Amino acid sequence: MSGFGIYLVFFLIIALNYGIMVLGLNLQWGYTGLFNAGVVGFYAIGAYGTAILAGPDRAALIGGFGLPFPLAILGGMILCALAAIVVGLATLKLREEYLAIATFGIAITIQLVALNFESLTGGANGLVGLPRPFIDAFESTTSYNLFFLAVVACVTGLVYVALEAAVRSPWGRLLNAVREDEVAARSLGKNIALIRLQAFVLGCTLIGLSGGIYVAFIGFVSPLDFLPILTFQIWAMLIVGGSGNNAGALLGAIVVWALWTMSGLAISRFSPVGFQNQAGAIQTMLIGLLIVSMLIFRPRGLIGERATVSSHKERGAP
Amino acid sequence: MRRYLCSTAAALAATTFAAGSASAQSCEVNVGAVLSVTGSMAAIGSAIGDAGQLAVDHFNEAGGVNGCDVNYILRDDQGSPNVGVDAAKTLVEIENVPVILGAIQSGISLPILSSVTVPAGVTQISCCSSAPSFTELAEEGGTDGYWFRTLPTDRPQAVVMATIAREKGYERIAVVHVNSDYGNSLAGNFEQAFEALGGEVSSITPYNQEQASYRAEINRALQGDPDSLFLIAFPADGATAAREWISFGGSQNMLLSNALRAEEFVNAVGAQYLTEAVGIDNAQVEGESVEAFNASWKEQYESDPSGPGLHTMYDAAAVALLAMEQAGEADGTAIRDSVREITGGEGEEVYPGPEGFAKAKELIAAGEPIRYVGATGPITFDDNGDVTGPYLTWGVEDGALVTLDTWDIERVNEAMAGVSEE
Amino acid sequence: MLQALADGILTGAIIALGAIGLTLTMGILRFANFAHAELITWGAYMALAAVSLLGPLGGPIGPFSFGLPLILGTIAAMALTSVLALAIDGLVFRQLRGTSNHLTLVFASFGVSLLVRMLILLIFGGAATYYSNTLQIAIPVAPGLRLMPDQLFALGLAAVLVVALYLFLQHTRLGLSMRALAENPDLTRVNGVSTARVIRWTWIIGASLAAVAGVLYGLTVQLRPEVGFHLILPLFAAAILGGVGNIPGAVIGGMIVGLAESFAVFILPPGYKMAVPFLILLAVLYVRPTGLFAGTAGAAK
Repeated sequence: MSGFGIYLVFFLIIALNYGIMVLGLNLQWGYTGLFNAGVVGFYAIGAYGTAILAGPDRAALIGGFGLPFPLAILGGMILCALAAIVVGLATLKLREEYLAIATFGIAITIQLVALNFESLTGGANGLVGLPRPFIDAFESTTSYNLFFLAVVACVTGLVYVALEAAVRSPWGRLLNAVREDEVAARSLGKNIALIRLQAFVLGCTLIGLSGGIYVAFIGFVSPLDFLPILTFQIWAMLIVGGSGNNAGALLGAIVVWALWTMSGLAISRFSPVGFQNQAGAIQTMLIGLLIVSMLIFRPRGLIGERATVSSHKERGAP
Repeated sequence: MRRYLCSTAAALAATTFAAGSASAQSCEVNVGAVLSVTGSMAAIGSAIGDAGQLAVDHFNEAGGVNGCDVNYILRDDQGSPNVGVDAAKTLVEIENVPVILGAIQSGISLPILSSVTVPAGVTQISCCSSAPSFTELAEEGGTDGYWFRTLPTDRPQAVVMATIAREKGYERIAVVHVNSDYGNSLAGNFEQAFEALGGEVSSITPYNQEQASYRAEINRALQGDPDSLFLIAFPADGATAAREWISFGGSQNMLLSNALRAEEFVNAVGAQYLTEAVGIDNAQVEGESVEAFNASWKEQYESDPSGPGLHTMYDAAAVALLAMEQAGEADGTAIRDSVREITGGEGEEVYPGPEGFAKAKELIAAGEPIRYVGATGPITFDDNGDVTGPYLTWGVEDGALVTLDTWDIERVNEAMAGVSEE
Repeated sequence: MLQALADGILTGAIIALGAIGLTLTMGILRFANFAHAELITWGAYMALAAVSLLGPLGGPIGPFSFGLPLILGTIAAMALTSVLALAIDGLVFRQLRGTSNHLTLVFASFGVSLLVRMLILLIFGGAATYYSNTLQIAIPVAPGLRLMPDQLFALGLAAVLVVALYLFLQHTRLGLSMRALAENPDLTRVNGVSTARVIRWTWIIGASLAAVAGVLYGLTVQLRPEVGFHLILPLFAAAILGGVGNIPGAVIGGMIVGLAESFAVFILPPGYKMAVPFLILLAVLYVRPTGLFAGTAGAAK
């Protein structure tokens, strides 16, 4: 396999794993209209939950239960769901932006816990030497990465199929109803807050799943993995791909991550060293610009939402 | 065009068979570096990148490695592990580098090590990652020997600082440290050493990086009337913390960690408040090898090499290239196995700079053993890829950074023994 | 303890100045503006730029570390921050005000905050800076309490501004329409108040106060591009605690958040300080979502 091919496998593992996260966010924002400003917080809960459950026993740490990875990832997802319930119950009956503020807060708080709660999270050192699942069964890294890609692709595929089925079910139409016309939905006797909570918790659980897979692949976790910029990256993927469309969400993940990594490559190749200092800031500004201009000029993203039950909403904004 | 030139050069070289080794090269070998050129470490990252470039330039002046020109590819990790890991992976798979230099932060070096370099059999040499986790991982066999770092681990530094503090008569010291692997480990080791020497640590206060204010942390550190402060920080945050410490009546008896040895720090705090301060750093300032590096840095960049990580980065690159020359091939595993052959040991000493590298190449070609004595002095890697090194202490006089004292390896070992005895 | 009290009040005053603008936009424009905190950073850096231009105009006045340049710089910063706020409103928020999902506005503000922060980073660099490099030594005022003259000035200025704003809202026609719009937009529109004009002045007042907050922050602490980012949560906590749209509420909310952060160090390790506003926020949302002083715009649906 050529060097480029090996890199491509590696790239796709990371990109598809981000794709799972974007799918979770799409359920929240694209289908239900919930603004999660703390994506990275839930990703961190999933990652740390998995690392603590799967990690080897160490004297200085509380964790280290040595569970098999599938169980550990499940545990991380459950932790994510619990955190989502705490935040969701507080905010989902209130004005929509309160959820945004609270999720923003939980992301900062999780980062602080990761950094300061040394006996659980390893503090700034992170958790090292985590076992990588099934690595002994493979002779070369390349075949292992291929195997891992197959697993991630299967998981992503399953999540995609399940979400497509869900959004087409009566429950899925209810999500759209809640997003587009809350009063109407309520007048039909639906419990809006409960439906929102379900979508929010489910979305966060998927974000946690992505965190768990990341840990399994990298074999290490530290607070540095969860910088606030990641939230923006994931949002950019969703917005570029088109919120309200699961295939778009996956496409967005691959396109944005490709642009992000290639711009780094391009900067190192073509720009003078003196300029590289500013390059990071410019790169981040491009994300901000992308988000804002997509919202203004192309709200439906690259692919965008299919017109469904409520196409009539297009004509008259409230 | 370049290819044409290269083949012409190759033809020329072939015809003028006896031409010296420093003539034009027919091939290129890539060396990768992953550093934080942007992001939270940007302030020190680009200078560190320059130090790596300098070593590569010197090697090319000396005729390249194994008859090939060295091509230095610097990739930015933006202070983020996911970007750093991706950068490392492209370097390994697309640029085919046999060795990666970096990263700066341990939280980036570690995922690169565990998910890129070790699986691919590529040697990784860091200038700046000081976390104890690497030693732990190496002991468990998690690094397969592919990991090296050219800066000493924190424990000797902590012991030297504790010894100095006791010599200066400090009884109750407050420790304020950056909440990172580096800060945690240094603070913990310092407390142990200082108390073993009969002093008392009044408080240990971690602070999180890049916050706007450290007033709450400084207030906490001021509780219990400490007579001195050990500040473990990076220049920007450290200046804020030191300013607030002084503003709120803290003692000017300050000990400063190695990362604070920067003019940026002195200027931001104000030199007049730092006359009592004593800092530490890893580099050995005396000796021909160090001066050779300092002189060539001045010549190239027209400034003093006084930032953190410059000397260690130069050595990281030099060790990688010399090991490659010794191995005779640009292969990660061969480089790993050659690193200890060109450091430590009893071979003939070679120094930084084009002349030093040219001499090293001749000796290697003749099959003679060499010993690289670098910008940080003599280097010996232990089984875990760690080095113990000499230290210097520095202070501020007339607004400038000056060296106060030097601690060679023997003196460091003596201090270490003094702590473990009690 | 005394020191923590003093520090808490000072931080609280700065948060309060920022939260006033935030609560006004949340009340009148009906969306949570994540970019508001960046106006604080912007204001602080604009004053820095002005100080470096006006430097020759004079040295420090009395016991303070600053002089005429910073005072003029603050006024310039207020103007320039207002310009930025109006530009953002015209270029982004106004475009989106008609869209069906008003959360789009919140989201856009998220993107704008990133843009502004990176722009500051690009222009001024990431290192911490100060208006004046001379260190001020705090004066012992009482046992266990040290204060810098600059801190007293900051507190005094914040108090004066809050009182002035209060009088403006109580006694001028524009102030009354702003309050009316915050309390009941539909009724106000029916009564023929020019919404566009009120919105414009909301931005100007909010941005000017944010700029002053930024200058005071830079004066008593330091300047760095992340200042605003770290203030987002405290500002929201203060605005919601005080009741959205309620100005005296925002001031008291700011004080409570500032004091809580300052005193939290006695209970929690200092590393968790930044989580304190979040815990306050969560508690308020669970126990009394309308805020302590029944928010005018009404948080509950």
